[in-house]
Formats: sequence, C-alpha cells, structure tokens
Amino acid sequence: MPVLLLVLWVVSAREGWLTEQILPEPRDVLQTARDYVASGELLADTAISLRRVSEGFAIGAAIGLVIGAAQGLSQGARAIVELPFFVISQVPVLGWLPLLILLVGIDEELKVIVIAWSAFVPVALNTAQGMRDVPRTLREVGQVLTFDPWSMLSRIIVPAALPSIFTGLREGLAHSWQTLVAVELFASSEGLGYLMSWGRQLFQLDIVVMALVVVGAIGLALNWTLGRVERRLRRWQVQTA
Amino acid sequence: MIRALIAALFGLLLAAAPAFAETTLIRLGYPGVGADNRPFAYGNVVAVAHAGHFIEDEFADDPSVKIEWTFFRGAGPAVNEALAAGQLDFAAGLGDLPAIVGRANGLKTKWLLTDKVHDTIYLGVRPNSGIARIEDLQGRKLSQFKGTNLQIAADRVLAAHGLTERNARFINLDFANAVAALVAGDIDGSFGGVELLALRRRGIVDIAYTTKGDDPTFGRNASIYVTEAFEQAHPELVARVVRAFVKAARFADDETNRDAVFALWAKSGIPVEAFREDFAGETLAHRLTPLIDDYVVARYRDQARRSKDYGLVRKDVDIDGWIDRTYLDRALAELQLEHHWPRYDAAGIKVTDGEVEPTKAAAK
Repeated sequence: MPVLLLVLWVVSAREGWLTEQILPEPRDVLQTARDYVASGELLADTAISLRRVSEGFAIGAAIGLVIGAAQGLSQGARAIVELPFFVISQVPVLGWLPLLILLVGIDEELKVIVIAWSAFVPVALNTAQGMRDVPRTLREVGQVLTFDPWSMLSRIIVPAALPSIFTGLREGLAHSWQTLVAVELFASSEGLGYLMSWGRQLFQLDIVVMALVVVGAIGLALNWTLGRVERRLRRWQVQTA
Repeated sequence: MIRALIAALFGLLLAAAPAFAETTLIRLGYPGVGADNRPFAYGNVVAVAHAGHFIEDEFADDPSVKIEWTFFRGAGPAVNEALAAGQLDFAAGLGDLPAIVGRANGLKTKWLLTDKVHDTIYLGVRPNSGIARIEDLQGRKLSQFKGTNLQIAADRVLAAHGLTERNARFINLDFANAVAALVAGDIDGSFGGVELLALRRRGIVDIAYTTKGDDPTFGRNASIYVTEAFEQAHPELVARVVRAFVKAARFADDETNRDAVFALWAKSGIPVEAFREDFAGETLAHRLTPLIDDYVVARYRDQARRSKDYGLVRKDVDIDGWIDRTYLDRALAELQLEHHWPRYDAAGIKVTDGEVEPTKAAAK
C-alpha cells in the first residue's frame, strides 16, 4: 500500500495531474528534507514537538489513569465524576481552545494542557471501562484467597483490565500527537506543526509534505513502541501468574 | 407525470444552456478582510474600486460578464493557494512578498498595475510594555503574519536598527488573532498598518514606531495581477478591468475626494479618523498610484533579493519578465492620464510631478 501511494505520487507529479504548487515532486521533498536535516532545523522542531507531546501525554495519561480507576473501582466516585466527565469529553479539545487561550494565554502551557486533555479523555474512559468489566468470577477468586485491597488491585483487577487500559493509552497517544499538530499550527514559533504552517504560508508545499511524513512516521513509531510495551507486560503478567 | 416533469426540466436546462455558455465570470481575489471579517478592503486603490463598484460599472452594459470578489482572511498566502488551484483570475492588491513567493514557486501571472506604494507600517505595542523604539524589541514577544508583505517590511525595519527576526520571539498569528493576543497581553507588540491606529484610538496599543518620515524605501507595496491563462483567453476583458482600476485610482487620488475615499475604506469597519491620521501630511497620490515606475520595480527587485537572503524563497525571481504594461499604457492613453501621476526613481526621489498633485491645493 505505501509503495502504491508512492508510485501514484511520482506518476502524478510526472504527469502533472496536480500542479507542482499543490503537490510537489518527491524529489523536491527529499531535497528539502536533506537541507532541513543538514541545517538541524528538522531535528530541533521534532525535538520540541516530542517534548510537548511527552509532557502533555504524561500528565494527561496520569490523570486519566487515576480518574478512570476511581470511576472503575468505586461507585461513589463514579457518581461524582461521571456527569462532568461526560460533558467535558463530548466537546472536542480544540473546541476548548478559545476558552483556554483566555485562561492561560498562548504559550507552552496552552500546548501542554491541550495535549494532556486530549490524552486524558480516552485513557480515563478505557481505564474505567476495563476495571468495571473485570469478570466477577475473577474478583471472587481474590476474595476466596482473602487478598487485601492492594493485592486485589495489582494481582487481579489491573492485569485483567490491562488490554483495555492499553487501548486507552494508545488512543490517548494518537490523540496527543494529532492535537499537537493542530495546536502548533496556531500561535507558535517552532515545532513540526509550525513548520507546516510556515511551509504553507510561504507556499513551499515540499516543507509541508516533509513535515507530514515525519509526523506520520513518529506516530507510527510511538504506536509500535506502546504495542511492544503492552506485549512485554502481558508476557510478564502470564509468567508471574 | 414524472416523465413529463423530467422532460420539462430538460427543456428548461436546454433553454438556459446558451445563456450560461455566454456568461463570463471574472473572479477577483483580495488578500485580506476588514474588521470582524467584513468583506471590504482599505487603504488602497483596490478597496476604492471594490466599494465604489468601479469594475461592476465598467461592465454595466454587458450582462454576460459577472464579477465575483473573494476576500481572504488568510491574506496573501491564501490568495496564492487559490491562484494555484485555479480559483481566481485576478489577484487584486496582493502584497509584494506573497506575489514574489508565488512567482518563485511557479504561479503563472502577469503584473498589470500597481495598487499602492509607500504604505506606512506601524509598531503597535502593549501600553506599559516599556517598548519605545525598535531597539527595545530585543528579546520581546511579537506576532507576525508570516508570508505577508508585512513580514518582509518588518524585517527591513528591524535590519535598519541592527536586529533580525531572531532577536525577538516572533509568533505566527493572523491579523485578527494578533489583536486578540495584544489585548490579552500575550504578546508585547505587533507590526501592522492603519488598523493599529484604530486600536490606539481605543487605548489598546501605543505606537512605538512608524516608517513615516523614515527611509522612503520602507513600507509595503501591493499590485494587481492576472493569471496568464485568463489573460490569454480574454485580453479584452483584462483591458477593461485594468481601465476600471485606473479610473478608481484616478478617483482615489483626487484630494477633493479625500473624505469620500476614507468613507469607502471605512466600510471595512476601520474608522475614518484612523485613515485621516494615517494620511496626515501625505497626499493620496503618494501612495495610490497605478504606475509601475522605477521606484516600484526597484522595490520588487530589492524584496526578491531580500526574500532569498532571508530564506523565504529559494529561487531568483525575475521581475522584469513579470511586468506587462500594455494594458496599463492603453488605459492611461484612453483616459488621457499619462501625466496624471508623479513618477519616482529607484531611490524614491520624485522625477516628474503629476497633474493630480495640485488638487491638494484645491481641497485646502
């Protein structure tokens, strides 16, 4: 599939299906990428974007895990949190942007908060769901073995909810990465999203395409890494069990 | 029943088809919007032509020609995108930098006439920001709409005071968001045009610097372009559009029309007082000229060179091959306006007086 797309791109550029201003030739994109790598700009912008995502995602996922777990484990907590959580999660994070800008300005905080927010929602949802759905029989096993609450959580509930939690984390990470680009398009002076808007405003679509490829590749790499971590955890879980 | 309906529909379509085929749509794009996204321009000839219906009037006797104006909040970069996508025939009032960027990237246009020159730029700063001159910008946070003619004009001003974009933090914001950010105190300042004077009147910004009275080669320029495709298909229409713009320039330059011109511009939502202040001590003809004289050509050559130095374009842009004065010369001859406007040399020194200039005395 990727090969097919690449072929289509090359042919389309050759045949002039789309003007070069709209879809630049792969060769031009490659040349631009070389220049940007050589000058260190691409690396610097990528590093900034990655830092924003890791900060935002770490905060959002941590809060999401806590809130999700609270909802999943305690009826009382769910009753308190459910409604506001539902309302918040119904509005896409970029919808909150105007309000957030008034509250925290347009600086780094804004980016981190928006990214954290976009990670938080799926993580919390899936964690709560996963913990609530732990089969009764498994819980009963714990009760029979007279597990204390901590053992119950670490030996039974978390392992059983793990696939669901990881689904949430993966979704959260994907959201973080997408949101990053959106938030960097607006009011920034560095990062991959900024590189895209800069390329667009200076009408150098090769820069835009280059940034797109980098964004896609990193997204893929992040997702793959998280998949590996999940598999490792599950194997370890099976072994200890 | 249904068959009869379909037949009737087809009949209607067939009847409408010939009328359809003869209609020519002239699509003009303008790089900007007024206050609150109003579809009106200000500060230039194009704004007068649009709000004063000069183009529509030119074709008033020709119902087969339709005029369509589009105002792009995304400014020059958005106009370039629309040109590339084949959605526009004329780029009216496109700033020097985006036009050069478009040409560097292979957009096929012809430069027909000038829209404005010497457009003053201002540095608006947050009150109490402690910025009183350009040198104070060191390390400050400013907004800039990248890829517009304001960017390169601001870069020149910075360079003249020993600074570059790297000395301050420039955040990429469009004009509307820049105002919001200034009001919220998120940025310390922003370069801009007459709209900053309107903000000062409301106490939102102080003006720390203006190109007024500084080097005469500072300031922004804008021009009117046609796509090569449209020009080849409809040279007669191009001639009439150019003539309409020249008529608009003729109207806009006349000092007896000063208030009328400002009133047309005020449809953008920027108050008349701001224009009055912007043009204080300056003739209308100083900025509003259709001529592609040595001064304008020198500015574009200079901007093209600087754009390359700043890394905004990657190719040398040929300016001379871009200019097509045939339509302008024809319109000037037809309207007997060959000597109407003053001409300036490359350094910005006036070479010949224009017949328009004594109108100032008449107004005063």
